[in-house]
Amino acid sequence: MSSMKAARPTGKPTAAGSRGGLAVLALLPFAALVGLFLLLPTASLIWGSVHNGRTGQFTIANYSYLAHPLDLVPFANSVELSLASTALGGVVGLLIAQAIVSSRQPVVQEIATTFSSVAANFAGVPLAFAFIATLGANGLLTRVLLGAGVDLYSNGFKLYSVLGLTIVYAYWEIPLMVLVMLPPLQAMKPAWREAAEILGASRWRYLRAVAIPILATPVISSLLLLYANAFGAYATAYGLTTGFVSLVPIEISNLVSGDINFDPGQADALAIGLAAIMAVCIGGRALLERRSARWLAR
Amino acid sequence: MAAAKREGSIYQTGIPPEWVNYQAIFNLWQQDYGIPINGTATEGEYSSGQELDSIKNTGKPDVGDVGIAFAVQAKQQGLSAPYKNSHWADIPDTAKDADGYWCCNYWGAQAFAINTDAVKIPINDWNDLLDPSLKSAVGIDGDPTKANDSFFAVWSAALANGGGVDNIGPGVDFMNKLYQSGNLTAARASDANIIAGEVKVAIKWDYLGLAVRDKANGSPNIKVTIPATGSLASPYADIVAAKAPHPNAARLWQELIYSDAAQLLFLGGYAHPIRYASLNAAGKIPADLAAKLPPSNLYTKVQLVTDITKITAAQTALAAAWKIVVNAS
Repeated sequence: MSSMKAARPTGKPTAAGSRGGLAVLALLPFAALVGLFLLLPTASLIWGSVHNGRTGQFTIANYSYLAHPLDLVPFANSVELSLASTALGGVVGLLIAQAIVSSRQPVVQEIATTFSSVAANFAGVPLAFAFIATLGANGLLTRVLLGAGVDLYSNGFKLYSVLGLTIVYAYWEIPLMVLVMLPPLQAMKPAWREAAEILGASRWRYLRAVAIPILATPVISSLLLLYANAFGAYATAYGLTTGFVSLVPIEISNLVSGDINFDPGQADALAIGLAAIMAVCIGGRALLERRSARWLAR
Repeated sequence: MAAAKREGSIYQTGIPPEWVNYQAIFNLWQQDYGIPINGTATEGEYSSGQELDSIKNTGKPDVGDVGIAFAVQAKQQGLSAPYKNSHWADIPDTAKDADGYWCCNYWGAQAFAINTDAVKIPINDWNDLLDPSLKSAVGIDGDPTKANDSFFAVWSAALANGGGVDNIGPGVDFMNKLYQSGNLTAARASDANIIAGEVKVAIKWDYLGLAVRDKANGSPNIKVTIPATGSLASPYADIVAAKAPHPNAARLWQELIYSDAAQLLFLGGYAHPIRYASLNAAGKIPADLAAKLPPSNLYTKVQLVTDITKITAAQTALAAAWKIVVNAS
């Protein structure tokens, strides 16, 4: 992964002195990007969240949702959905990635990577409809199961619920996990295992003392990425549930695009809540990645 | 008419040929008057708000076809000119501006589009939707806090439950009951979901229901009906621009669209013309066209909503109440 390479310590102090000016210059485009697309919007969000969207006066009323249980339901739904789809996507994705690496077939790896890239980006209304046609109340799989004596919908299952959304989100979370876990799994050198075996380590001992400590950080950082990815998703959830399952991104959209509920200040305040949770996830991932990069450097 | 012909053309905004059978009405205009129709292709697709902007900023349009709220707004902003067409007396008082600054031309009413292959019980009224056999079967067309179609579905449900145009509350309560019973599905009553059988009873505008019935073409069979206790209808209105460059042509257009011939063409496009009741009473609706529509007697209880202060009040009430339906379950 390119992000891992970027995290690897590069310039040594000796070279830094002469190339310092040039390095700063080379950093400018990146700094401009971060400034324009991250810092500036964040600053505008924070400013907007403490001002009344209609009158422009300073207020903290936009954050009143924090005190209303009903207004926190979207946060609870979002967190539940993100945790569940991360767990499902993470476990299944990791197993698939390991299977691909173990196959040692370049063709399999090629196909799996290509498919994963496509699937990880298939979302929105088309994905929602694909699932409706499969697992909806009148979906193909639902009817096949009904024929086999399993009535999903009478037993409390609904595609249009947090559980249903978890399954739909897993459709792109699993391939995303495969994509981000393939490089670290491929970087595990057979020599490490051989060395451990020669020294008399059992399979379990190798896993516990070598593989797990090395892989723990990429796994955890991948899970954080999956979590953030699910937390910010909007189009698929709205396409599927028409707003009946309230999630934070849907609430924000209601506040900025609706003619009726129009309140950009409150939308900004919700977005800050969303951003705070996302920042913790992404910050945590960056910290962990720095640790594992040392080990995985080839 | 001679004066209109001398002006040489007419410029329209927000009147696309594929909408409510306008192409046939354009043909009628050409045949009767032969005056070229202008209005760029993009302007045909304008939303009502964009139409008013076009009238205000370009000064080009002569006539516009706008949602009722925008017709009222146009009068307030001095963008429309008064004109009373020759069928004025035939048009219900609620559907026209007393001073002639706007006049409704057609409307759609909330209806049930029922997949009769999947639904075996008769559905004639709102409370029939609560039948236990309709689990996950009933759908509305979008989030009612965002989409006008589903907003009117919720509002219409109030009619059968002790509410009405002045009180949307019972409509929200009814939808909540329907949702809690498991009958109201979160799947949107879109064409795709109706044809796939995911939504078996769609609550939406009658003209959209009739269009999806034709599109499905028997697979599945779809029947469109108006609830027995009635439903609400939302009209569109025609306005003449205050600074119309072709004022006579604009007025001639008004004469055309409120004529029997054009009004029946609206009906052919499944939009109920504003003179529907009188045309029906006079027996002017062809039998083959009537056969494609829900029975006319069901439309007698349809209420036209034209009071925009009531629309705003209902929207505000819904915004607060709907959050409880969705989040408290």
